[in-house]
Amino acid sequence: MMTEADYYALFEAYADGELAGPARANLEARMAADPDFALRYADFTELTGTLRAYRQRQQTREQLRGIHGAMLAAESPEVAPAAEQPAKLTHTVNPMLRISRTERKLREFWSGHRATVGVAASVAVMAVFATLLGLDIWRTNHLPIPAGYQALRREINNLKQNQKVLNNTIQRIDGSVTPLVPVSKFSGTGFALTSEGYIVTSYHVIQGADSVLVEGRDKQRFHAEPVYSDTKHDLAILRITDRKFTGFGRLPYAIKAGQADLGERVFTLGYPREDVVYGEGSLSARSGFEGDTAFYQVSIPVNPGNSGGPLLDERGNLIGVVSGRQNDAQSAAFATKSSYLVRLVDSLAANAKATAPYHLPRYGQLAGTGRPQQLKKLQDYVFVVKVYEKD
Amino acid sequence: MSRGTPTSSSLTPTDDALIAAIRSGDERALAHLYRLHWPMVSHFVLQNSGSEDDAQDVYQEGVMVFYEKVRDGSLELSCQIKTYLYAVCRRLWLKRLTSKSRFGVRLLDDEEHGPYLNTGAEEDVLAAEEQDRRFNTMSEALNHLGEPCRSLLEGFYLLDKSMQDLTTEFGYTNADNAKNQKYKCLVRLKKLFFANYKEAPI
Repeated sequence: MMTEADYYALFEAYADGELAGPARANLEARMAADPDFALRYADFTELTGTLRAYRQRQQTREQLRGIHGAMLAAESPEVAPAAEQPAKLTHTVNPMLRISRTERKLREFWSGHRATVGVAASVAVMAVFATLLGLDIWRTNHLPIPAGYQALRREINNLKQNQKVLNNTIQRIDGSVTPLVPVSKFSGTGFALTSEGYIVTSYHVIQGADSVLVEGRDKQRFHAEPVYSDTKHDLAILRITDRKFTGFGRLPYAIKAGQADLGERVFTLGYPREDVVYGEGSLSARSGFEGDTAFYQVSIPVNPGNSGGPLLDERGNLIGVVSGRQNDAQSAAFATKSSYLVRLVDSLAANAKATAPYHLPRYGQLAGTGRPQQLKKLQDYVFVVKVYEKD
Repeated sequence: MSRGTPTSSSLTPTDDALIAAIRSGDERALAHLYRLHWPMVSHFVLQNSGSEDDAQDVYQEGVMVFYEKVRDGSLELSCQIKTYLYAVCRRLWLKRLTSKSRFGVRLLDDEEHGPYLNTGAEEDVLAAEEQDRRFNTMSEALNHLGEPCRSLLEGFYLLDKSMQDLTTEFGYTNADNAKNQKYKCLVRLKKLFFANYKEAPI
């Protein structure tokens, strides 16, 4: 019986070609017939083959190391003309290789920490910008806000949302509290309609009124009662009920029955605060808010309290009654046309009691005089209308 | 040199001559080839966060792959030697970088070295790695073999000593004894080697 080692001796002899003719033929025949035996031979050849290749690999590695060493040795004294050939090659193919030691260190550092440096730098940049942005936001948030600015804007937003709210807001603004008159809830302006004691104001001023007090420039006060209200055209007519009241005397202005023209210079007097305030502008449109033809649009700056004030043209004719303004438009005030007032008075006069007839002023006295003179005459006929409400 | 010629993708006469010379065992031809392409690879490795030593390792591995294929006659070059070497070394360096880097690796390539893809370098590098694994297993098997088998086999196969020298060195009475011992050692080595090599993960 042959051991495995004996087989290996046989294999080696066979592989080296040292086996004689018959033995060789015998072995080959056996390998062809017996797959296990063939496999054993294959293992043997793989083993010795690997050993030989391993040796070759080691030799090659040694050889290459030698070549590299020789190359470096040839390279180092390259300043001297001794090693021309390899030095030249190195030079021409790649001059980049010749870098100083420090530079190489720097290069190695850079290539090794490139990613980290990049991340750190971007984090730093982001932090800086975040800080700047944050500071900016903080500062804008802490700016002193002009008083009343915010509230006004909020109102405008509300108005945009809802037209109904807009109307309500206009009325509320125009009839708002005058803080220096603590007893009255709202105040507006009114002016004399006839010399007998009728006064015109806006309907929304006296809306929901419990009692109405009219106060002139000379602080003289009269009680008044609403005679007629026209909610559609925002007009109200009051009558002074005081016994001691004797009449206004002749009114200096006439009430215009027709329409005023576009671009006419107009002015108004009113009580947006305790004192009478003059405002002027021009007639900018012959229709009012949302195209309402009962109103004019005028470019007079008006404020809460101006409502019910007279709107007069250059010659001192009354052409309208200030009613409201549009908050989200620049200086757009609205005034009821005087023609509606005239029509209203006419219908009232038809069935008026004899004790209180309506005598509208027919002729004005203001034409041709200067504005200050006009106002001097006018201001006696413009009143504060103070409204008291039951709570 | 061949660089810059329009047909640079095919083998040039210089490359052919060089391969023929290397195949015939001309050590100077190998040395010439080595010196010729060293700057390219060292530049590449240095540019891609490697050191001079890394460059040397990678280049020697690469030349080894090339050299062994040339010697086997199994080299099928579809491009210049230069491109082939670049592709092989690139692949080797990429492998090393990815194994030691936490981040994804992007290599800076020299455009002038042409299309380093589809040069067959990938498969050759893989084959070389397989071969490396085999050699490592062999080396381990030899270490586990124990004396005197190890010295005997190393002496015969790796150091290329004759049986006669080994007989005297190990104090066998005659060459046949030494040979028998060698065969026994081979059988043991075979068991160790195949046990490890076969079960090692592919």
